[in-house]
Parts: sequence; C-alpha cells; structure tokens
Amino acid sequence: MNRAPLNDDRWRRAVPVYGFPVVNGFFIGLSVLILLAFILTAYRELAGLGPVSGMNDAYGWGIWKTFNVMVLTALGSGAFAVGISAWVFRRKRMHALMRMALLTSFLAYACGLLLLGIDAGRPWNFYWIVFPWKWNMHSPLAEVAICMSIYAMIPLAIENLPPLLERLWYFDSRLRPGVEKFERRLHACFPWIIAAAYLLPGMHQSSLGALMLLAGERVHPLWQTPWLPFLYLGAATFMSFGCVAGTTMLCCLVWKRAMDMEVLDDAAQITAWLIFGWLGLRLLDILFRGALGTAFHFDRFAAVFWLEMILISAGGWLLRRSLLHHDKRHMFLGYVLSSLGGMIYRFSPTTLAFRPNPEALYFPATTEILVSLGFISLGVAGFLVAVKRLAILPAPLHAWYDMASYFRFRRPYIRWTGYFKFGYFGDDEPKAVQSD
Amino acid sequence: MAITRRELITTIAKAGVPAAVAVTAGCGTLQAETIPVPSAAVGLLYDATKCIGCKACVAACAEANGTPPDTRGDALHQAPSDLNDLTRNIIKLYKPADGSPISFVKRQCMHCLDPACAAGCPFQALHKDPETGVVSWTAEKCIGCRYCTITCPYHIPRFQWQGFNPRVTKCELCSHRLEKGLKPGCTSVCPTGAVIFGPRSVLVMEAQQRIRNTPGRYYQDRVYGETDNGGTQALYLSHVPFEKLGLPELGSESVPARTLRWQRRLYQYFAMPAVLYVGLVQVIRRSLKGHEQEAHEQEKETGLRAQL
Repeated sequence: MNRAPLNDDRWRRAVPVYGFPVVNGFFIGLSVLILLAFILTAYRELAGLGPVSGMNDAYGWGIWKTFNVMVLTALGSGAFAVGISAWVFRRKRMHALMRMALLTSFLAYACGLLLLGIDAGRPWNFYWIVFPWKWNMHSPLAEVAICMSIYAMIPLAIENLPPLLERLWYFDSRLRPGVEKFERRLHACFPWIIAAAYLLPGMHQSSLGALMLLAGERVHPLWQTPWLPFLYLGAATFMSFGCVAGTTMLCCLVWKRAMDMEVLDDAAQITAWLIFGWLGLRLLDILFRGALGTAFHFDRFAAVFWLEMILISAGGWLLRRSLLHHDKRHMFLGYVLSSLGGMIYRFSPTTLAFRPNPEALYFPATTEILVSLGFISLGVAGFLVAVKRLAILPAPLHAWYDMASYFRFRRPYIRWTGYFKFGYFGDDEPKAVQSD
Repeated sequence: MAITRRELITTIAKAGVPAAVAVTAGCGTLQAETIPVPSAAVGLLYDATKCIGCKACVAACAEANGTPPDTRGDALHQAPSDLNDLTRNIIKLYKPADGSPISFVKRQCMHCLDPACAAGCPFQALHKDPETGVVSWTAEKCIGCRYCTITCPYHIPRFQWQGFNPRVTKCELCSHRLEKGLKPGCTSVCPTGAVIFGPRSVLVMEAQQRIRNTPGRYYQDRVYGETDNGGTQALYLSHVPFEKLGLPELGSESVPARTLRWQRRLYQYFAMPAVLYVGLVQVIRRSLKGHEQEAHEQEKETGLRAQL
C-alpha cells in the first residue's frame, strides 16, 4: 500500500464542497417550491385528494405513488446496488461512491415516504404498522409500506451516521472520546445493519413490481409477467448506479473536482453488464410469453416500449463505448439515457401501460405536479446542504489539504462549522501531531 | 480477501439448503392454494334475461345503506353513471351498435371466494367474513391507499375523492340487514325476481336448474361465478357474452392465487429472507474486517483520520 500514487486524481477521501455558499439563487428557487408544496399539502389534507389531483376511479394511483415512490426510490437504490457491489462482491473501488449512494438513497426514500403519507387517504390509520399480527402478511403493499419505512428509518439512517459523527469529531476535540466510543459500538453492529440494508430493499423493490401482478390483465402484456418483481429489482440496480455515478460526475463538473476514471470505469462496467443482463431477461420473457407481437402494433404501448428499449440499450452501448476511450461525456450520457429508460419502465405498469376497465384518462393536475416537484426539491435541497456541510463527495487527497488552507487563510472568521474550526484543521490530526 | 467467489458460492450453498427445505416444507400448507367456500356463504343470483332495468334496486340500495342520493349528474335526479362513493349498486345497459340483443347488468361486489382486494389490503381493512363470506370494509383499519381499486378485477371498490375523511364504498351485501333477518335491499324490491338472495349452494343449483329448463337461452349455458376467479358469491346468468357486461374471463383460478404464487412462496414463514440475511451478515462481516484494515493502513499512510 505504500507505493507512490500513480494517479493524482485518485479519489481517496470524501471532502465537503467548500467555498460555495449553501444559499444561492437555485437554492432559493428550491425553497419556494418546497414551501408551495407544504401549503398545497395542508390544503390537500383538508379538501381530500380529488380537488388537488387528477386521480379518478379508474386511475386510483397518481404520480405521487407511481413517480415519486415507484420511480424515484429506484433511482435511490444506490445504497442497495452500489453497496452490494462494494460489500458483498468486494469491488473495492465502489467504496469511494458509497457515501454518495447512501445520501441519495436516504433522501429519495425519505421524500418518497413523506409523499406516501400525504397520498394515503386515511394516514392516521398507519398506526397499525406497530402491530405485526394485524398485517396482511401476503399483501405486496403491506410488504412495501412496512419494509420501506423500516429500511429508511433504521438501517439506511444508521448507515448515514458516519459523516455526521466525523463532523462532530472535527468540530470539537472535547467531543472526540465520546464520538470514538460511539463509532466503535456502531462498527460492531455494522454487519447486521448493512445486511439488513441489502435484504430489505431487495424485498421491497421487488414487491413494488409484485404490486401490479394483482392488476392482472389491466397491465399491458408487454409489461405484465410473473417476472415483474425481478425485473423491477433489476431496473432499480442499474438505475441507481446511473443515479449515483451520474450525480457524482455532475457534482465534479459543477464544483470542478477531479474525476477518478478508475472508479468511474469500474462503475460503468458494472452498470453496462447490469443493463445488458436486464435487457436480455426482459426480451426473453416477452419472447417466451409470446407477447412480442404486441410490440409491433401501432399504439401508444408499443411506442412506450420502444422508447424504453432504445433509451436503455443506447445508454448501455454508450457506457461500453466510454470504457474503450475513457470518455466522460459518453459515460455521463450513457447513465442519463439508461436511467431515463429505466424510469419509463418503472412508470409504465402503473400508468403508461395501465388499461383500466372502463377506458379513462389520467393526467396529473397542476397542484399534484407542484407537490411532486416540491418533494423532489426537498431531496435536492437536502443533498446540496449535505454535500456542502459534510464529507460526502469523493475527492483526491490534495483536496482535503486545499480545504484546510482555504479555511485557514480565506475564511478565518468562520468558527462554528465543524470542519472549518480555525487553526485546528489540517494539523490537528492525531497522526500528524505525533510526527511533529 | 481473494476468495470472494468461492466464499460466495459456499455461503449461498450453506444458505440455500435450509431455505429450500423450509420453503418446500412450507408449500404444503400454503393457504391460498385451496379456496374454501365459507360455511354459511350467502350470495346473489342475477339473471340478465329477467331484468327490465327499472333501477328499483339502485334506490333501495341507497336507502338500505343510508347513503344520500347521488344527484351530481344533473343536480336533480339520482342518476349515477357508474359505481362511485355514493353508489354501491348500479344497473347498466349494454347496447351493441349492430342491433344484436341488448342487456341490462347489475353491478355490485362479487364477494369472491378469494378476493383480490382483501389479498392486497395491507392492514386487512377489507376482510372476508369466514362464515357468511361477505367482503366488508373497516374504516378503522383502512389507510386509504386505494390498492383495492387497482386489484379488484371487477373494478368494484370506489374511493371517496372529496373530504378529509375519505371512505371506501362497496357492496357489503347489507350485512346489517342480514343480522336482523332481512334480505339485502336490492333483492327485496326487484319486481321481476331478476336478482335473488340465498345461500350460495342453493343459488348455484337454482341457476343450473334454469339452464337445464331452457337450454340455449343462456350464454355458454353456464353460471358466471361458479368457478370463475376461483368462484364468487354473486352469480350471473346472461344471454349476451359476460365480457360485454364487465365480467372478464379470468379462468377458474383466483387472481391472487394465480399471480402471487411465487411471492407467497418466497415469503412463506419468512424462511427465505431470514436465511439470506444470515448469509449476508457472514459475507459482510468479512468484508468489513478487510475494509477496516485498509482504512487504517491508509490512515497511517496519509496521517488523516480514516473515513469508514
């Protein structure tokens, strides 16, 4: 391990995004959307779902469930997919992306669950969740609701603690013994927590697909299959890789960080394999069920199907291509296209390919879209605060020292934010002190 | 650290054996495989050839259930266009454009023997009575997720879209009247006897008797609901195809039994997830050890605190 770094851009440490204010024009825009969503939510609780949404008797589920939960938690499965590649399959480079994955997952799940509570017509009855003997054990929806809330509130939240603890550690040397003691205890129970953090999403991301099994013939045959749970889970894996790696690349671009192509190539390779494996399974399933003919009908279902197929395969192809030339642009585009295709896939069985008994239409109402956007903004705003205040985003080693000198010389008056403690930043490290 | 694959395979093998045993052992007692007919199953028999479309049953249903008349159509008459939050029972007209025979159809809950709504309901707010077999809704357990409106193959439960305290409306076979020894509202007023109430077994026999008495009168000479969707407690006789009346051909296996078979088997007794969990803990414990060691080596190398 003591060899000299071959590549100075290697991501070796998570470093906060420093030198950029949290509150800027974009953040204020997000805050306005969030505030608007909260006000509309209050109105929805009083007036009911009808006046604020386009949902009707035929389409009982609107975008709050079908987009904010079904689609966005798939994008937020990074803690599951990237985590499994790092911890179970020991792709060690993936550890560099873990904090990003954990943060995006937590925010996606938290915002999705909040909206799930708003979407429920009688949310006060959620208290039944604490009586396991009242659950309907065989209901996919019970599985999703219970498993998702437990996952987001316990294993995923605990997995997100290390950056916070680290910040406390740097904040004040008097806190250090306590923080270190707590960290030791946390690490002792990490195997059980991390294992739960892979089992639970594996269960509920597949059960999200199982939800639509009960809808039977009303889901178009191109989507309705006994493999729906497995395909939903598979889509979540490559979409979440796209979300984690794509977001990291975007952050590096925006905040001018070096990109570690070793890590990104590794992630792109895994994603490409996941995409082609998934596509193969999906096409084989359609072929063996004999539903391929419906893909050549001239209707909206075929159009959605081909759009999804083309986006996902183009994304996979771009990712493979980017590996040959280490091309960041193709890689990013590949992530975006494959994730978009995956989003269409996850959105289809409930909405685009759903054929209710009496023909009816659903289009989200303006208020419904605003609330949905507001809760997405909540996640984005949370992300922006977190990467600017906590060590989340991976960076080369020198970024840490750059940050230390930045705060020592440029912002000596900021004393109240963890990492920025004046004068005790770079050289208050335990090992560095010993070597003096 | 280098034996990932081998270790993985052995772990899966270790985990797989008891899992396979547990799951196959559990499969014998999977409840959904055989659908019992409730001991005192009651039901409705609707004969479309006898219905004159007078809608007396619609009014009687509203009266029996104490729902206000749904006058939202023209602000004057009780004329709902479909089942909705105020309408548990409705008469619809099937009138083909080519001039072939028309038919009325009475739509209300089918009270399936294996109801998809209850199979999906997360906290058993929709519940099938083990004796009478009536599928009813409990306000105290319903979270308003509207999954029942997605799962029901007959598209019966309807959600109340207005107000802060929405309810799910569906035919509950007037169970409050049954307790008093009365018939359901709709059957007590039908002038032609197009819809009758009784024990399900008696109704099945009656329907078969009608088919035998007038062969060729009824579509396919069969009773819809005797075996369809695993059997229902509302039975239909018709002279036009059932599909035209909103009764889809679902096969003799119930929707939950057909679609959730693997889901139910995988979660049987929670055996598979539990075994998988133990296997994961083993693998992750080893990964964590290696990762911690690497982090500490890096800490020594860089002099910066390890980020785990």
